[in-house]
Amino acid sequence: MEIRPILSALLRSKTGAVLVAAQVALTLAIVANAAFIVRTKISTSDRVSGVDEPNLFELSYVASKKIDDRKGAMQKDLEILRAMPGVVGAATVNMVPLGQSGWDSGLCADKTKVETCFDSAMYMGDEALVPTLGVRIIEGHNFTPDEVEEIDDRTGQPKAHAIILGKHLAQEMFPGETSFVGKLIYDDYSPTAEEMRIVGIMDQLISPWAPASADAYDSVILPVRLIRNRMDYVVRTAPGQRDRVMTAAETALTGLRTDRVRTIKRTFDSIRESRYRDDKTGAGMLIAVAIGLLLVTGSGIVGVASLWVSQRRRQIGVRRALGAGRIDILRYFVTENLLITTAGVVVGVALAIGLNLFLAHKLAMPRLPVAYMIGGVIGLWTLGIVAVLGPAWRAAVVPPAVATRAA
Amino acid sequence: MMLGYYLQLGFRHLRRNPVLTGLIVVTIAVGVAASMATLTILHAMSGDPIPNKSDRLFVPLLDIRPVDNGDSEVEPPPMLSFADTQALRAAKKAKRQTALYGIAPAIDVGRASVPAWFADGIATDRDFFAMFDVPFVRGAPWSEADNDKGAQVVVLREATAAKIFGTVDPIGKTVPLGDKDYIVTGVVADGWRPVPRFYRLIGANPIGDYEELFIPYQTGIANEVGANGQLSCYDDSRKAPGWQGLLDSNCIWVQYWAELDTTAEVAAYRDYITGYAAEQHKLGRFERENTRLYSVMQWLDKRKVVANDAKLQTYLAFGFLLVCLVNTIGLLLAKFTSRSGEIGVRRALGASRRQVFSQYIIETGVLGVAGGLVGLGLAQLALWMLGTRGRALKVLAAMDWSMFVTTFALALGATLVAGLLPTWRACQVRPAVQLKSQ
Repeated sequence: MEIRPILSALLRSKTGAVLVAAQVALTLAIVANAAFIVRTKISTSDRVSGVDEPNLFELSYVASKKIDDRKGAMQKDLEILRAMPGVVGAATVNMVPLGQSGWDSGLCADKTKVETCFDSAMYMGDEALVPTLGVRIIEGHNFTPDEVEEIDDRTGQPKAHAIILGKHLAQEMFPGETSFVGKLIYDDYSPTAEEMRIVGIMDQLISPWAPASADAYDSVILPVRLIRNRMDYVVRTAPGQRDRVMTAAETALTGLRTDRVRTIKRTFDSIRESRYRDDKTGAGMLIAVAIGLLLVTGSGIVGVASLWVSQRRRQIGVRRALGAGRIDILRYFVTENLLITTAGVVVGVALAIGLNLFLAHKLAMPRLPVAYMIGGVIGLWTLGIVAVLGPAWRAAVVPPAVATRAA
Repeated sequence: MMLGYYLQLGFRHLRRNPVLTGLIVVTIAVGVAASMATLTILHAMSGDPIPNKSDRLFVPLLDIRPVDNGDSEVEPPPMLSFADTQALRAAKKAKRQTALYGIAPAIDVGRASVPAWFADGIATDRDFFAMFDVPFVRGAPWSEADNDKGAQVVVLREATAAKIFGTVDPIGKTVPLGDKDYIVTGVVADGWRPVPRFYRLIGANPIGDYEELFIPYQTGIANEVGANGQLSCYDDSRKAPGWQGLLDSNCIWVQYWAELDTTAEVAAYRDYITGYAAEQHKLGRFERENTRLYSVMQWLDKRKVVANDAKLQTYLAFGFLLVCLVNTIGLLLAKFTSRSGEIGVRRALGASRRQVFSQYIIETGVLGVAGGLVGLGLAQLALWMLGTRGRALKVLAAMDWSMFVTTFALALGATLVAGLLPTWRACQVRPAVQLKSQ
């Protein structure tokens, strides 16, 4: 295949070639970066939370008038919930995974070394919490009833002597270790820090805020049953029963008292949707822009190729008359397109790196992996060929007789 | 100037090849729509919420953290403790000042048609309303005396007043907040929705949410109206449970604003808080002497109210517009060069290059305006769809007049730039060559 005639033809109609190459370059730069960001957002929002989401819901009441026996109220609520048909477990909790609000605190492996301290999401519940949430304990055990402290916020503040740690946090606090049960950790970086003994390790329990990094799994459970104005329950149902049970549970608990207001009633699916809605919106916008770019560039290729085909009808006719077959004409135009696209792709890769550096500097974006640049290159080559096929085929079917016509 | 004639010619040309015209208009339109939709959101998020006095309202910050708490953060914590708030309030070093913290009291009006709910509000000082230019539709803020002694008074937002009292005038009537009755002194206009809600960035959504009620800060403290927002404790000074334990601790949970009108006042206030920090350091209460005084825009910047995502999407959308422009250059070239014959004839008849240029630039301009119109429609559609994606976006995804104007300016400007090369080419057409080849 003679490249030289193609090149010289291109050099004579530089403008069209440059325009197409420019579009290819810019599209590659933007789509490669956009695809990377979208992939990151999707993998963030697909992360497992560590709880039995499809069968869990949250129901929360807050006292609107002074309630003297809040403990009694809570016990009655849990009694009713646990007795409802379809309920596998019910527990009181202080916050929920992906809920975007809650408590966190620093915990230290060594109360004299600040580098062993890590911020952790602090879940609080009694021995019913782990089985209700469906959290997997991979070392040690769930709390026993005598490890649980009941704290009334009118008279005391949360404290614990036992603790269950998430695996990721345990590995950060005790690097290189494989067994953590029995170790002590501290609630503060100070000589007066309280110590807590690790009784269990959970596989994973995502924090309420679930940031994009692996720190999302830095969470602990404290064996504290809180008695306070807020009565927050998580309920686990048998498969398929959740919606029915949630409605029944709300009716039952709301009807019990008039001195409190139901503030939350939502499934864990809804909690997840809320947390990741903005990420999904952002990903959607980037996908829309990427599709738009590919369509515009594709149509640009079709346009320029069609123009050239119509401008060169005579030459095509002559070549056909001299013995060129349809395939030869087709190959000519496809090769021409590949040359332009390749020029665009080369510039595009440089632009993609440049754009990524700019975004990294301004918006703290991570570096673009090579795979996305390769993917972009292949994608744009493919786009080019697909786009040029139509005009190239129309060129190929130009009959040789055109050579003999006046114009 | 044959503007009318050129416009006539232009419209006729556009109609002659409607497909190509349509393609040009659509290409410009989608590029402009993507850019303007993302820019509108970014613009709303980064706007000055109180332009007439954003350089006169300040947030003072003090650093209550212990030195060796393993925290590498240079910035002081974003709120004040109760003790520090009281000290600043008592000193009255600014022209106007206010403390504020979020509250969520229960409102139970005892009617089945209005079930009890927890209303979002703040406990704040009287100066709040003057400092932030809060418009009232009825009544007024509570009095200075009520503010200082912590009277049970409340200011409601219009919608909340309507919810509780219907069409009856609420001024002087009582609202049960929790287990106490508060007297309504004023009603704030529903239309007061600063974007972002700059005065309460901590522990609350900065965009999309607005308070339903306001009570005096002193009343909140005296009546133990619980704090609804963020609470951070950097040491173990919270020794006792309950309200008093919180007040006695060094936990931070109160936000503070000062109004300082002149640079001299700002400098004086800065000296005051630096001096206060030094004094507390000597007393052993502060381990660090690290203070800040941020104006509204500095505070918004520090708190990163403008999401990185909004900036990213805007950059990429403008990149898309650039590709659309490059594409449009090609389309315009195709459109104009197909008329080489006509240009040749006109030039032979005496039209100057300048006149050909004018004609084609005007034609380009017409395409740009058309692209702007279609682009505006598409942008509004995109903004409407985005507005369904949450409360914050609903507030942000609306064009103000400056975004309207920018849409047309962008479409027209971009198209004219794209049209420069094709128009110049059109002028280069040599009459003789064209006349020959017919």
